Amino acid sequence: MSAPATPASFAARQRAGDLPLTGADAFLRSFDAECRRFGRASHLSQLVLRLGPGFDPERFQTTLAEAARAHPILRAPVVRRFAALYPVYRTTRPSPRLPVVSVHAPDVTGVAARSAQAPAHPALAPGVPLPALFGDRVNEILQLERGELLRVDLVPRADGGTDFAMTWAHLLFDGSGSEHFVAWLARCGDGATRVDALGADEGGGAGLDETPAAFFRALRAKGDRARAWQRQIRALASIPPRSPGGRLSRARQATRYERLTLRGDASERFLARAKEKAGVLTPVLFPLAASIRAHAALFRARGVLPRSFVVPVVANARPKGAASGAEAIFRTHVAMLWFRALAEETADLDGLVRALRTRRAELLKRHFLEDGLAALDVARIAPRRAYAFGVRRVFGGELASFFFAYTGEFLPRTATFFGAPIEDGFHVPGVPASPGSALVFSLRDGRLGVTHVWQDGVEDADERALLRRALLDDLVGSDGAGTP
Amino acid sequence: MSSPALAAPTRESLAALVVEIVRDQLLSVGPEFGARSNLVDAGLDSLALTQLLLAIEERTGIWVDESLLTPENLESAEALAACIDALGAGRDADGSAAS
Repeated sequence: MSAPATPASFAARQRAGDLPLTGADAFLRSFDAECRRFGRASHLSQLVLRLGPGFDPERFQTTLAEAARAHPILRAPVVRRFAALYPVYRTTRPSPRLPVVSVHAPDVTGVAARSAQAPAHPALAPGVPLPALFGDRVNEILQLERGELLRVDLVPRADGGTDFAMTWAHLLFDGSGSEHFVAWLARCGDGATRVDALGADEGGGAGLDETPAAFFRALRAKGDRARAWQRQIRALASIPPRSPGGRLSRARQATRYERLTLRGDASERFLARAKEKAGVLTPVLFPLAASIRAHAALFRARGVLPRSFVVPVVANARPKGAASGAEAIFRTHVAMLWFRALAEETADLDGLVRALRTRRAELLKRHFLEDGLAALDVARIAPRRAYAFGVRRVFGGELASFFFAYTGEFLPRTATFFGAPIEDGFHVPGVPASPGSALVFSLRDGRLGVTHVWQDGVEDADERALLRRALLDDLVGSDGAGTP
Repeated sequence: MSSPALAAPTRESLAALVVEIVRDQLLSVGPEFGARSNLVDAGLDSLALTQLLLAIEERTGIWVDESLLTPENLESAEALAACIDALGAGRDADGSAAS
């Protein structure tokens, strides 16, 4: 009979040099398991670049291959060995396969009619169709356990430009990390830096080096914070939210998305309204309020307005400051602020923004971010699906009302990518069948873009049109043309 | 554990408080960071600025409205301390008038 397991024997199963998942990584791994139930797709994210003429695909492929050789996390199996403390990126035994780069035939027929954007609102700029295969990519399976974490698709356009999509298992980078990665690749391609010149902070941190005693000591220290976070989450859930997908939606995992880009004058109007209504420090609360109201409009059309909306908003948890790893690329470094809005608050945009500002200050005063980070860290030791299971149990079967992000200026200091000007770029987050709806905002050259992501069967065409109209009316003004 | 409240703060003690909060709670900064360092250049983003305002309120009882976070007031801990000091003086004056 074997001796009872001790912390030392647990730790011995972790391999020195492997990279531990952060708490947020483990959370996203749980989401991946959630999405993969019933054979659904992986929990993937995508970054799209719309490039002008001049892109050099060979130089890009060479640089990415060199990067993957220099940084094994890009092909590291994500595993949790039997009885190990927590999952790791197995950087000591990376997959021999490099990330796949597929160069497709020129898109002369408009491959992707279903992603075409007609200016259905006066605030929108005319859209250019995206390749359909970009949408297909977010519905595929990446085998995390085999180190399949990233792939790239390149589709030349008839006008000489190229559409670029990088699709990855979401735990490999967060939104900021993916932008840092693309900007870093661009600098490597230009010869401004070398692929092997990343610092430990930029590269995502050191490998596994803690002793089991230190691990359990840290765990105990974080326990009180984790419990404080749990209490706050339970308070938020006292009125359970509802999502468009509904509880434990059985909808087929078929993610769809469209990118809506506002005209320049409408974008200016949005920025002015965000500053006026939500202040200089928290402009994010304005699109958040508009997104809550847009979903409320959708529910009103269904005749079932939920009594509350609960929306997690991602905050960058990288250490800040000149001596920090503020540019960390790999792994996810995020915390979440969870906002609740009551049904009656959704009737008035200004009142809702004020309520969200008050709640943000309250959450920060109660150290919700720090407590949440501690809770994520502690929960790394839990079984893979425990996170999603726990959240669903607290929120009455839901994960959230919908997903939301405002990522600010997209690639602010990167004008070109392997010889081509970046004309536009944006993020596409993954969203499981429940909640089934996400709105992600970003700016590029002062133009606001909104990526609307939904699951087939969760929002029909009429509902999507209604949601977008309500959203854009709030963003730019009630008549939709930007007039107050 | 909450930090002790600042009794009868002076401009200098307020600047030292801002430096202490930034250094100990908000940013990873080098030894060169001091009362004359630019707060935004040092790495304070909107989230960290809100956390700074909340910490200042906790320690001094003075709330700095975000409309006062002008580039001039974020030029340094000293500049922000002058702003807090003026707010405190104004509050004291209001209190005296009311009593």
